Amino acid sequence: MGYPYSHENEVPILSKYFGDPEARTLNGWKERGGYEALKKALNMSPEDVVEIVKASGLRGRGGAGFPTGLKWSFMPKTKASAKAKVKPHYLLCNADESEPGTFKDRELLRWAPHQLIEGCLIGAHAMGAQHVYIYCRGEFFEATQVLAKAVEDGYEAGIIGDDVLGSGKKIDVTVFAGAGAYICGEETGLMNSLEGRRGEPRVKPPFPAAVGAFGMPTTINNVETLAAIPHIVGNGGEWYRQWGSEKSPGTKLFCVSGHVKRPGNYELPLGFPLKDLIYDVCGGMIEDRALKAVIPGGSSVPLLSAEEAMGCALCYEGVVEAGSMLGCASVIVMDETTDIVHQVMRMASFYSHESCGQCTPCREGTAWVTTILQRIEDGRGTEDDLDTLVEVTEQMTGTTICVLSDSVAAPVQSSIEKFRDEYLALIRRGERLGTA
Amino acid sequence: MSKIPFKNPGWAGNVGEYDLTEEQVRGIDFVGVRPLEGGHAAGSATYPYMLEEKDPEGPLFEGPYQARFEKILTRYPTKRAALLPVLNLAQEIRGHVSPQTMDRVGELLELSSAHVRGVATFYTMYNKRPVGRHLVQVCTNISCNLCGAEDVLKAFLHHTNTEMGATSLDGAFTVIEVECLAGCGFPTCVQINSRYYENVTVDEVPRIVAHLRDKGAGLARSTGPEGEG
Repeated sequence: MGYPYSHENEVPILSKYFGDPEARTLNGWKERGGYEALKKALNMSPEDVVEIVKASGLRGRGGAGFPTGLKWSFMPKTKASAKAKVKPHYLLCNADESEPGTFKDRELLRWAPHQLIEGCLIGAHAMGAQHVYIYCRGEFFEATQVLAKAVEDGYEAGIIGDDVLGSGKKIDVTVFAGAGAYICGEETGLMNSLEGRRGEPRVKPPFPAAVGAFGMPTTINNVETLAAIPHIVGNGGEWYRQWGSEKSPGTKLFCVSGHVKRPGNYELPLGFPLKDLIYDVCGGMIEDRALKAVIPGGSSVPLLSAEEAMGCALCYEGVVEAGSMLGCASVIVMDETTDIVHQVMRMASFYSHESCGQCTPCREGTAWVTTILQRIEDGRGTEDDLDTLVEVTEQMTGTTICVLSDSVAAPVQSSIEKFRDEYLALIRRGERLGTA
Repeated sequence: MSKIPFKNPGWAGNVGEYDLTEEQVRGIDFVGVRPLEGGHAAGSATYPYMLEEKDPEGPLFEGPYQARFEKILTRYPTKRAALLPVLNLAQEIRGHVSPQTMDRVGELLELSSAHVRGVATFYTMYNKRPVGRHLVQVCTNISCNLCGAEDVLKAFLHHTNTEMGATSLDGAFTVIEVECLAGCGFPTCVQINSRYYENVTVDEVPRIVAHLRDKGAGLARSTGPEGEG
């Protein structure tokens, strides 16, 4: 259920036990049906488990939306006969939740740690991985402690370790704490970080399924993706498709923040109308003020104007149609008092701070974009600056190793396109059209 | 819509419709006190490494910390992979990671000084300089910013009588700005040492600061804006 508020339109699958402290204990989790799906999976061949995930149509919940079953099938097969010669395989769980606006993984970690562990173990079985690393962001001390305790309990109960549930399979799980770097949420940056290096993304190819963590075949999945796995494997692929659309099956946690009355996480079928999410599920805008803009997928996707937002369906293809991207479904709602220029400047300065510095367009571009926006904010901007911003961000799109650079281009370009009057009011008259 | 429920036990974050204590929200009721020597090796790299009491010259990795250091090494195929957890461990003891600390960690893990320094300076959670007993990190990124985070930051600077990034004269507080803490639904989100303080408003700041001064960062007892519970 939604936390800290629930709603009747929710379909609570992953979030069913949010706010239920009993559910994070091993016994509590078992009483709620936990680890049955793992038993089922261990009695199946790895290929059959991958087929179920493929059939469900589950798409990666970290932002890119890549089909999970397909990703799993890229891992080289381990042949039982050649066991001794097989390279180690790794499964990494990306719990480095750091996209501004996103706060779903923390809830999954702190309320349902065994759900994630079960998903990790099923994934490890399906891909022949012997070790799962769960990379938690360093700031998540409290949630990480809960997860670490659950892993310890799992080892003690024989669910994790040398003989997973008596199947003869050896799967280790290690909880890793990062040290504060947004870029480590990028999959290859995370691998470098796990290996004790700076979290700089790697050039692909080679892809992680061939050469990943420690040079070995590796798959990396988001917390929410892996948390969905036990439910899919337990109930079947078709079951999961009863929600969502053809291209975006299933349910998704929507993180709503900003100027709504009841912010929080809500689990809804994909395709849910953004309008209903704001005005019904979240109880409407604070003090019933007018909506100005919505960022539907975390700070690295284009802004939607109020008008665009009203017709937007929250599934991967629906948000693209509306002119943005679903990302990790982090809906940031901004009302009429919002100073768009200030908020875009804040986002740009974030990306500038978090750029790893490897690629010139990103290192230089994020810094210059921030400088120009700061100049406009300080009342020293010119109208030419807007053209410069568009030109610079165009050069930052698709020209770097990872997409951090593109991420700053999205809010800058979309805000100049959709809220040009706000920039012009500030440049021409020193007037702010928002007051927050 | 009738009144929207809002409760914030111990500044652990709004529990809304749920009836939860601070210990339950933070998970303390479930986790309890984890042993200093690290417990099971699987979780030995996850301890809180921002403590109130710091020993800047403290020996690295003796006693229970030695045990934890060794457990961390067992979890990775290379020694280098232990670098981040070991730097965390060093910071837990000393409060910050000085060049001397980096060099010592490099020796222990057979890594060059250049590599360790390159890594340590890449990550923002390693304090390169000593910090106060309470490191207050206020998120001012977009979701918190929309809900008044910049005023909360100013209030912390005012009530702790410090400047951004500097430590107060009594050594109690260092206040800095931090990027998104992933608590966007609970604005403003503030990390103080190892704990999150959520739904922090300007009005709450003096009480949080007084609480930290009086009782340390131990469990806070508050039921939110309505008053002490």
